[in-house]
Amino acid sequence: MDQLASTQLLLSALVLASIYALVALGLNLIYGTMRLLNVAHGELMMLGGYTSFWAFELLGVGTLWSMFGAIALTAALGALCYVTVFRYVVRNRELAARLESNSLLIFFGFSIIIQNGLSIAFSADQRSYTYLNGIFALGDARVELNRLAVLGVGAAATAACVLFFRFSRLGLATRALIQQRDAASLVGINADRIQLLVFCVGFGMAGLAGSLVSMTETVTPFGGFPYTISAFIVIILGGLGNLTGGILGAVLLATIEIYGVALTSSAYRSILVYGVFIAILFLRPQGLLGRKMR
Amino acid sequence: MKTRIFSLAGIAVLLALCIAAPQMLDAYSLGVALQLLSWIALTQSWVTFSGLTGYVSLGHAVFYGLGAYVMALLWQSAPLWEILLGSGFAGALLALVIGYPALRVSGPYFVILTLGLSEFFKYIVIAVEAGLESSGRLIFGAPDPETLYYIMLLLAVVATLLTWGLARSRWGAGLRAIREDETAAETLGVPVTFLKIAAFVISAFIPGVVGAVWVLRTTYFEPMQLFSPTTSFTIVTMAIIGGSDRAPGPIFGAAFIVLLSELLWARAPHVYLVILGVLLVSFVLFVPKGISGQLAWLMRRRRA
Repeated sequence: MDQLASTQLLLSALVLASIYALVALGLNLIYGTMRLLNVAHGELMMLGGYTSFWAFELLGVGTLWSMFGAIALTAALGALCYVTVFRYVVRNRELAARLESNSLLIFFGFSIIIQNGLSIAFSADQRSYTYLNGIFALGDARVELNRLAVLGVGAAATAACVLFFRFSRLGLATRALIQQRDAASLVGINADRIQLLVFCVGFGMAGLAGSLVSMTETVTPFGGFPYTISAFIVIILGGLGNLTGGILGAVLLATIEIYGVALTSSAYRSILVYGVFIAILFLRPQGLLGRKMR
Repeated sequence: MKTRIFSLAGIAVLLALCIAAPQMLDAYSLGVALQLLSWIALTQSWVTFSGLTGYVSLGHAVFYGLGAYVMALLWQSAPLWEILLGSGFAGALLALVIGYPALRVSGPYFVILTLGLSEFFKYIVIAVEAGLESSGRLIFGAPDPETLYYIMLLLAVVATLLTWGLARSRWGAGLRAIREDETAAETLGVPVTFLKIAAFVISAFIPGVVGAVWVLRTTYFEPMQLFSPTTSFTIVTMAIIGGSDRAPGPIFGAAFIVLLSELLWARAPHVYLVILGVLLVSFVLFVPKGISGQLAWLMRRRRA
């Protein structure tokens, strides 16, 4: 039991939670405002990861700088995606009638394209680099600096986003759109502009998360899928479209994952995570914090 | 009337060709035909539930994998037909058990839940197999490809008839009503819960048997591969490209993708998958009713 109280485990859980929170945030924003299920979210992370990897390998630029490049790249992709495809999808009455499943399929197509495009461009090799790998001692726990960086940047970016959407004018408009789509348009909120913003921020946060993760994990073209799944579990735990709930969901999932594995064995990690997820949806179909549907 | 006779004659010729195929094809082509039939059966069974109700399931692989697992466990301990039926019932039983709680959620919750369930059972089977200290099961003395081909042909035909019959029936109308507006359907007296679970259970039987036949074909059971979410994704892609509202859809979709994969997979797998992704996106955007819907529309327009 002693090991459960260790700072080491607590730190691991916090690092994982900050990544999950960041990844889930982008997914949640896009789902919340537009009812689009972005199953290519993990692939966007890998794009961010590759950006940081190549920036480090070719230019010798550290991740704490190249992460801005990753954000810019994925945010630009988000804008492109919205302007070329999704602006049309939400306006087309036939497509918008089954928006959720249609968006899922479109994003699934994107994820296959990104995965295999990356494989063609960079091969399927696992890529990793060493950066900020100094050890930092915190009481009895030892933690690599890059993990602390993940924790710090991840938490700061998540907090900044949540605050932005809570207090700024644009953020309030976005939340108005999340809560009451038609009424928001009635009071003069420019839905098109907000949706473009949401795509940029949502994609950009995925790129940032990928860039951060690339410091501690390997990057491969097909490495995004588990993150997509975790992110979906997180936002369903916290209630779809509920940004603060997502943070709670991230902490919960990371805690279950880290402490569950410490108590049993890493072989049971997936069973545990999916089991909890299924149990929650079976018992509380609207998610832990979700409002009752209909 | 005339078109009716033409299409009946066409179906008869197609069926005759399918039955004669093993005599005309070499071993490799027979393998491709077997694959095509298995995808047709799988996609049809997906359409009987997800296509009609609009509840997009990303967990169809779990029934397929379970069927394969039952076959791998029971092979040579009972006659082939009994195990095949057992595999089908195993899939249907699983659907019955998870159906009630799973079908209480809808939309995105249901999509992710089905994927989660499928992955959950995959890791359970992996843990059980690891507990039994088995790493993959080999199957000895499997039936020859020709026998498997005829079983698969039967499955594809049954699955197609099921979709065709269901789509035209009162139940089918009820299922479509659920897709269009579940609350309205319920208000009008459609027994939505019963219909959803019934369709879910029926749609799980076929993939159970297909999985059992397929593991006899590969003669090797490995949970990572047989429960792979790629199977579910491929099924959905085929249904979308072919059209998911009528029986010819899955046949077109499966034929199109199997053909494409034959042309490209061996030479350039990544290029093949990129093309698949582009096709999926384009079909959702521009041909939402799929190949079969588009053909039907073209034919109506020519007649008018």
